Amino acid sequence: MNILPAIAVTSSALDAEKTRLEVIGQNIANAHTTRGPDGVPYQRRTVTFEAQLRQVAGDGGLSLASGPRVAGIVTDTTPGQAIYNPAHPHANEQGMVEMPNVNLSHEMVDLITASRSYEANLSVVRTARQMAQRALQIGR
Amino acid sequence: MIDHILARENYEIAKKLLDAAALRQEAIATNLANLETPGFKRIDLAPDFAQQLARLSGNPGSTSADSLQPKLAEDRLTQSLRPDGNNVSLDRELLEMNRNAVEYEFLTQYASDSIRRLKTAITGRVQ
Repeated sequence: MNILPAIAVTSSALDAEKTRLEVIGQNIANAHTTRGPDGVPYQRRTVTFEAQLRQVAGDGGLSLASGPRVAGIVTDTTPGQAIYNPAHPHANEQGMVEMPNVNLSHEMVDLITASRSYEANLSVVRTARQMAQRALQIGR
Repeated sequence: MIDHILARENYEIAKKLLDAAALRQEAIATNLANLETPGFKRIDLAPDFAQQLARLSGNPGSTSADSLQPKLAEDRLTQSLRPDGNNVSLDRELLEMNRNAVEYEFLTQYASDSIRRLKTAITGRVQ
């Protein structure tokens, strides 16, 4: 038996949530980047998760399931808002500047959800450690 | 003699329940890990474990505790409010985890007490 139940599962979740936090941070940081290296405004990125669940054939029960995996980082290609600002160096002939498609309120909500998930997974680690300590004290 | 004391039914069941609690912790960890995974269905101990346990406590001695086998199964009965079909609820899992940890602590104490009683019998001293 694994001495710390479920630590492997939780570590992959912490990893995935951290990737998500990083991508959200990147989106917020680039909320006003009107030119990227490719010459177009920054496009927001989203992380997709994938469950890894292994099933034991014939047994009927589930084997030890594992946590999520980052399936990929997808670029959101919806066009951003165009605002009228002829003084901007990136304005086109009509004086319109295309802004990145980052919505700050969406990103903030995502940020809070991701950090709550991260906290929940940390409390799993704490409980697992307490349980392991209890098990080691059996018979004392 | 020692074999006999340690093979007492209560002690055997405590061992099985500890296994079940450890497995349950693993299930809850998986659920919390997949809080954001689209389409994920929460897992938990298979309901037939509770049935087996009830049968065993209903008529002790008829079946041995060895036949108790905790297993995990997907919970498809819980309603999902989310459009992606994921039915994990953060509060529920955290509550269940705390409950499970207390249960685990109780069981380890119970197992310890059984061993301590045996020690007292051998040494004649209450520690």
